[in-house]
Amino acid sequence: MDRATISADHAAPPGRADPLGDQAGPGRQSATVPRPPGGTGGRLLRFALANITRRRERFVLSTAGIGLAVMAVIVVRTISVGFASSGSASLADVLHGNPLWVVPADGVRYDPGAGTLIAKGVPPALRVPAGWHAQRAVSGVWDSPGGKLGLLGTTVPGGHAVLGSAAARALRTQPGRTVTIGGHRLTVSVSGTGKLVSVPVAAAEPVIGTHGWWTVAPPAADRGRTDLGQLLARASGLPWASDPARHPAPGGPGLIYDTTGTSAGLTFAQRFSALFSGRVTSSALGLVSTVGLILGFVIAVSSFLASVQERRREFGIMSSIGLADEVLYFFLVESGIVFLVAYLAGALAAGAALALVVPGLASLGSWLQASGIVAAYLPAMAIIGALVPVHRLLQQRPVALLAETS
Amino acid sequence: MITRGLSYGLLSARRRARDLILPVITTATGAFLLVQVLSLAGSVRRQAASLGNGAEVYRAVLLISVVVLLVGVVEVAVCATRTISQRTREIGVLGAAGVRRAPVVAALLVEPVLAALAGAVTGSVIAVVGGVAASAAGLSSSAPDAAGAAAGVILAIAVSLIASLLTSALPTWRAASVPPIRSLSSGG
Repeated sequence: MDRATISADHAAPPGRADPLGDQAGPGRQSATVPRPPGGTGGRLLRFALANITRRRERFVLSTAGIGLAVMAVIVVRTISVGFASSGSASLADVLHGNPLWVVPADGVRYDPGAGTLIAKGVPPALRVPAGWHAQRAVSGVWDSPGGKLGLLGTTVPGGHAVLGSAAARALRTQPGRTVTIGGHRLTVSVSGTGKLVSVPVAAAEPVIGTHGWWTVAPPAADRGRTDLGQLLARASGLPWASDPARHPAPGGPGLIYDTTGTSAGLTFAQRFSALFSGRVTSSALGLVSTVGLILGFVIAVSSFLASVQERRREFGIMSSIGLADEVLYFFLVESGIVFLVAYLAGALAAGAALALVVPGLASLGSWLQASGIVAAYLPAMAIIGALVPVHRLLQQRPVALLAETS
Repeated sequence: MITRGLSYGLLSARRRARDLILPVITTATGAFLLVQVLSLAGSVRRQAASLGNGAEVYRAVLLISVVVLLVGVVEVAVCATRTISQRTREIGVLGAAGVRRAPVVAALLVEPVLAALAGAVTGSVIAVVGGVAASAAGLSSSAPDAAGAAAGVILAIAVSLIASLLTSALPTWRAASVPPIRSLSSGG
C-alpha cells in the first residue's frame, strides 16, 4: 500500500462516511498521525497525483492517446469553424443589411475558388408592396487577370468598385487606382478580406451575365416586423422560408428567404453558417476525427480498467473501512487530471499542426473557438471514463476484492 | 540470447492472446481509415475540392488519418504496461535466474509488436477487400486506387510498428531494469 492510502486509512474514524472531511470525529488518531494539510479537494488531488506518479508511464500513454484524439477533433473543428465564417461572410456580402433575399428557382451555390455565393439562374419576376425597395443583383465568377474572383453587380455607386483585400491583392491594385470591368473604368476601394469584387450591375452584366437575385427592404417603419417574408410572399406570389436549408423547388417560381427570424435560438445567418460547417463535419474529415475521438475514449477507459485491476486489494481495504464511495471520487479526480492534461496538450498540438500543415484553413480565432467547442464535451467523457471501471469495482464485496491476488 | 527471448515472448503472447484483442482492434481501426483515405484518394480529393482549398483539406484528411492510427497504437502501449504490471514477478524470476536485460526486453516487446502488426494488417486487409467489394457491388462511386492502397498499407504497417516500439520500449526497459528482489517481492 502506498503512503497516500495509509494517510487516508488513518484519517478514517470508525463508522464515519467521509473520513476525508475537515471535521474531527471520535476515535480520530490525529494525536499520533499528523493530519495532511488542505481541504478534502486538496487531499483528493494529492491522492490522485500520487497514483499518477506511481504509474507515470500509463498516465503519459493514456494522456497521449486522448491528446492525439483531441488534436484530431480540434483540427477538424477549426477547419469547420473557418468554413462557417466563410458562409457567414458570403451571406453578409449578399444581403448588405437587407432582411429579405429572393433567389431563383435554380437556387444558389457557394463557389469555394471565388469564395462567394453564385446564383444558378436569373432572378424571378418580383412585385413588392408599395413603399418597399427591391434591388436586383447579379453574381458570378470573374476569370480576372489575377485568377478567379467573385463578381457581384449590386448597389455600388457608379464609377466605383469595392474589392475585398484578397481580390485587391490578386488584381495587384490599391484604393484610389482604377480597374476596368465590363468596359467600365471603376475607381477601387477596399473593404473586407475576401475575394469578392462588387461593382454596379451595368459593369458586372457584360462579364458574368444576368444570373442573380433580389434583396428587398421594407419601409423604415416596418423594419422591426417579424412577418416580412409573409408580407412579401403575399404581394409577389412567391413562396417564402426562414430556414436556409430549404431550397427553392426546381422549375418553380423561386424562393424568398426571410433572414429576420430566429429558430431554436439561432439566427438565419447562424443556421446558414452551420450548413457550411456541417459540410466539413459530415465529410471524410469529420468521420475520421470522430472515430479518433472514440478510440481515445476507449484508451482512457482501458487505462482506468487496468488501473482498477491492479489496485483491487487497495480498494478492498478502503471499502472495508467505509471508503467505498470515496473510491469513485479518487477516480473522478484522476480522470479529470488525465483529460485536462490531454486536452491542453491536444489543443496546443492542434494549433501547431494547423499552422504547419493547413495554414490557409485556420486562424487564431477559429482555433480558439474550436478548442472551446471540444472543451465543452470533455468533462462528460472524463466522468464516464471514470465511472465505467469504478462501477464494476463497486459491484463486488470488499472481502472479494481482498481475497483475490492483484 | 535475444532469439531465445523472442521465442519466450512468442510463447507468452500465445498464452495471452485474449489480452491483445483490444489493441489489435484499435490499431486495425486506425489502419483501416488510413488505407481507405489513400486508396480512395481521388474521391476524397474531389470531396475536399468541393469544400474549397482542396489541397489543404486533403492534407488535413491525411494528417488526421495518421493521428487516428497513432491513437489506435497507443492502446498497444497501454496494453504493454498492463502486461508488464501483471508479469512483474515473472520478470523477477527471469532476472534471478540470470537472464540478462536485453532478452527480457525482447520478450516483452514481442506482444506490442505482434499486436501492432496484426492490427495494421487486419485493418489494411479489411480496407482493401472492403473497398474492392464495395466498388464491385456498385456501393462506391469510385474504384480503389491500387497504388494508393499499397502506399496506405505500407504506411499503416510502418507507422504502427515504429509507434508501438517507441511507446513500449521505455516501460519494458524500466521493468527489465528493476532488481529481481524488488520484482519478486512487489509484483503480481
